[in-house]
Amino acid sequence: MRCGGYIPDGDSLFRQSVYPVSFKGRAFAREKCLKLYEQDDGSLLASLTWERYAPTEELIHSYGCRLAFRRNEKKRAEGKLKDKDRQVYCGAYELKGKAIRALATSDELDEVLSADVVHHVEEGEIAHTDLRIVLKPGSLNIDGTKTAIVDRLWSGCSGPLRHTCDCDRGMVEHPSSSLITAPAGDYSDIRPYWLRLWCIVRFQICNWLWRNNFWSR
Amino acid sequence: MLNYPAKIYRQAMVVLDSSSKPPDASASPYKTVQLQLSATGFMDDMPTETLILTTFSSVPVIWESELRQQEYQELGAALGEMTKLEEGDEWKIDPPVYNAACYIAAGLMVHSFPAPRIFNHGTKSVVFNWSYGADNMYLTISADHISTLISSPERIKRRVEYSLNELTDPSTALLSVRAFLKKPVQRLVSGAVTDPTEFVG
Repeated sequence: MRCGGYIPDGDSLFRQSVYPVSFKGRAFAREKCLKLYEQDDGSLLASLTWERYAPTEELIHSYGCRLAFRRNEKKRAEGKLKDKDRQVYCGAYELKGKAIRALATSDELDEVLSADVVHHVEEGEIAHTDLRIVLKPGSLNIDGTKTAIVDRLWSGCSGPLRHTCDCDRGMVEHPSSSLITAPAGDYSDIRPYWLRLWCIVRFQICNWLWRNNFWSR
Repeated sequence: MLNYPAKIYRQAMVVLDSSSKPPDASASPYKTVQLQLSATGFMDDMPTETLILTTFSSVPVIWESELRQQEYQELGAALGEMTKLEEGDEWKIDPPVYNAACYIAAGLMVHSFPAPRIFNHGTKSVVFNWSYGADNMYLTISADHISTLISSPERIKRRVEYSLNELTDPSTALLSVRAFLKKPVQRLVSGAVTDPTEFVG
């Protein structure tokens, strides 16, 4: 058994949808759900959650709730937290590793040199994963490329897995109701029972090893 | 005590595109109006061409461009608001991007294309998006560049890049939009009733 390492093509990755980041007003904006950040080296980066370290829906959602909480606390510490801008975790969409890596061989996306998902623990989150896309040097219009990439990634998404965090249960109209069904349809956990059980056991072991410094951070 | 209306009438409205000839109001009481069957249901049994009695002459006829103007006014307002957002706001765009987007939007409006959805990747561009069935079309507009993209759920079908020089004449970039949208010639839209008129088909 290995903790960390290569993410297989068939593994699921999840993109958390947080209000208001992934929204335009009260309406869900699919293009904002998969935001790509330009790096100094010209690559594009986004964050995902690896199913290996979030093997149940409960763990996927607890990751999302902590994500929104951390962002709100950071704003609060800076004195910038406004009630209307408070981040609310709404749910997650699923992508397969294979769909992400296929970007590099996609028709009409010649400027993509490579597209990969790499396990990268960040902010104490063992399930955090980088989606990294490397572009050919001198790519003409990076925003046009982003549009194409976001379109391809969204077309491979399934879901949503909606959720209301405990701290948001008092909301009159939770924004998770605005999430739309992804093009690949509803999420379905096709893992057989024994595999799901094994994933949970593996996660518990790796999580314990990591938290007790037996596994390099 | 509430007074409920005794009768309720449907009121049709004919929406014409710029290439259509408006019905001749000075002819005989019988008017011939070429109609395309609409999704409103009540026209399902009518033939493509039909004689409409005098009372049908009260159907208001408006140009599709008038509908489009309203849509594009709202689009322009939304783009303007995006330039005024605070630094760091996800939806903020730079003024040169706003100018380029308005220029393209004006070209779209002149050709009576439906107003697009908009989003952005940051301050350096804005994206116009149309959906047609499961397919999508995008125009990614930056201050000196336009990228067009047509995609289906399975693959990207077409991508074309236009630089600043081509931006001075947007009709080239709009050719892709026209082909993608495949506009219908006419359509019927049910409108609000002001003077109830018995509809005779």
